[in-house]
Amino acid sequence: MRARVFNFVNGITLIGVGAVLLDFFFTGRLDQYLHPQFRYWTLLAGVIFCVAGVVYAAGKTTSQCCIDGECVHQSANSPVRSLVAFLVLFVPLAAGVALSKDSYDQHAVLNRGFVQDITKLPSRSGSLPAPTPNDQVIPPQALGADMDERASEPLPQDTPSSPPDPNAVAKGGTGQANPAVPSSDDNGSQYLPKAADGNVALEVTDLLYAEAEDSLRKMFTDKTIEVIGQYLPGSDAKQFKLVRMFIVCCAADARPLAVPVEVSGPMTATEMGWVKVVGKPIFTQQGDRAHVVLKADKVESTDPPAEAMLY
Amino acid sequence: MTWFTFTWQNFLFSFLALAFEGLPFVLVGSLISGAIAAFVPSKMITGILPKNGVLATLASGLLGLCFPVCECGIVPVVRRLMNKGLPVSCGVTFMLASPIVNPIVALSTFAAFRGQSPWLNMGTRLVLGYLVAVVAGLAVRQLKPECILRTGAVKLPARKRLAFSISPLPDAAMNGFESTFSQKLVGAIRMACDDFIDTAIYFMIGAAVAATFNTAVDQQIILPLALEPTLSTISMMAIALILTLCSTSDAFIAATFVSFPIFARMAFMVFGPMFDLKLFFLYSVLFKKRFVIGLGIGLFVLIGLICSRFLIYVYAGQGL
Repeated sequence: MRARVFNFVNGITLIGVGAVLLDFFFTGRLDQYLHPQFRYWTLLAGVIFCVAGVVYAAGKTTSQCCIDGECVHQSANSPVRSLVAFLVLFVPLAAGVALSKDSYDQHAVLNRGFVQDITKLPSRSGSLPAPTPNDQVIPPQALGADMDERASEPLPQDTPSSPPDPNAVAKGGTGQANPAVPSSDDNGSQYLPKAADGNVALEVTDLLYAEAEDSLRKMFTDKTIEVIGQYLPGSDAKQFKLVRMFIVCCAADARPLAVPVEVSGPMTATEMGWVKVVGKPIFTQQGDRAHVVLKADKVESTDPPAEAMLY
Repeated sequence: MTWFTFTWQNFLFSFLALAFEGLPFVLVGSLISGAIAAFVPSKMITGILPKNGVLATLASGLLGLCFPVCECGIVPVVRRLMNKGLPVSCGVTFMLASPIVNPIVALSTFAAFRGQSPWLNMGTRLVLGYLVAVVAGLAVRQLKPECILRTGAVKLPARKRLAFSISPLPDAAMNGFESTFSQKLVGAIRMACDDFIDTAIYFMIGAAVAATFNTAVDQQIILPLALEPTLSTISMMAIALILTLCSTSDAFIAATFVSFPIFARMAFMVFGPMFDLKLFFLYSVLFKKRFVIGLGIGLFVLIGLICSRFLIYVYAGQGL
């Protein structure tokens, strides 16, 4: 009877673990924790945990749990094992459902340190085409297209499968192979994603990418842009950092990306709260690198974006 | 700012992220273990390896190529394989090599180092991971299993098997389970659950320790060490120990540590999948604590020496 009870406890533990995974998946909270490629593994694992837990709890109890009669499990029918499993496996996960705020505070951000060179981040390194004087190709990733396809469609010349337009030269008369590619005059600004109020909507990553890419700097300079990120107070009231977290697999490996922001007057925002900054990016050359500062005209609190993490 | 700042918010966020990412892989390893126990006869396990112990150890380092299991799921698989007759030296070699010498890790390493000599880095990682695992396995051949294995973790009743020669256990009678497919399946699920419980307890403890280090310790204090070859190698291995990353994706992290030399990052990518805070607890399911600590120190020294004293010249010869 006692073995039966602890068999049941083990089953409940497994079902509980599965239920927590499924809860985080279906409430969308999992999106804050994992890269998209891992989320469906968690869903699948949640289902398997629930099924396995039912099979385990309902199964008949034998003196040894292993099928070949050579049980290797430490104290398989021990009540201590079952209770420890419940306390270590299920309780922390269940506590996470109730207590986790699904984000880091500023201590974690400061402890990790900010990424200095965004082009070295995975999925971005190697995707940046070699810059040329007349390069007008905007890397889709540089405009957050990897986050939101509508944000920035790749230019037609990025698509090798697109057949070249034989009449392009005749139509355009400029010698460009594809008329959809902007001329060197307009800096491709018509391809920049726009917010509802007409400002150019960028990500923190776009501005950091522009530090390494001259064509992007030209494109962003003198534009009124709006950027969403988390507020991290600066050394005085007139400056702060606009932070986004970049993850490879899960939030445990998150690395902070930040753009310094200067405001004209004092402002209030909660630490690591989400804010929308409207202003103009200023690029200054320091040695062989450009550095960006966002001069803010307006800073206001906003809702977190659908994907709080960048990938 | 102090070097240690703990908050529950950060701890819970990092801990849950590690749990959500890792538990599915522990489950996969446990399911494979259950399936091996129920459906794979002992003769098959030992039949695929050469009879010679050294050759078997060499071959075990390559099992991951056709049997890719990451480090989170490897312990229950190795325990089950040992229980089916796999020699301890082969088990240790497979356990250390499989998280590196497998096609998924090869592809991810290649992808992560695009633009940074991807072929060289992928090949170096696989070869170095294999060699270190084989050296560790051959060293284990010199030890008595009762000095290594935790009491009761693996049944090794036959004297011959204690001496590390290859000989399968006789498959025991089904204990309380009939031998129809469906009943074997139920038995496999039950054993996978028990394997999972045994392993995941240690995984969660490791994840909690890692989450604390991950969020509370100021990681900037390590960066000044990047300038000196030996210190940079030690630092990168220390970071791997603390971060407890999955081997399928740690190359992406390593590629971002551009302030560290490439041989130090290679140490990160070879040492991390073989030993970290989470694995310290996971290995304790199978091995005695003293052996686990010795294994960690041995791997740290061996990989550190290879990378900072040998690999540095290999990369220098390539202009890196």
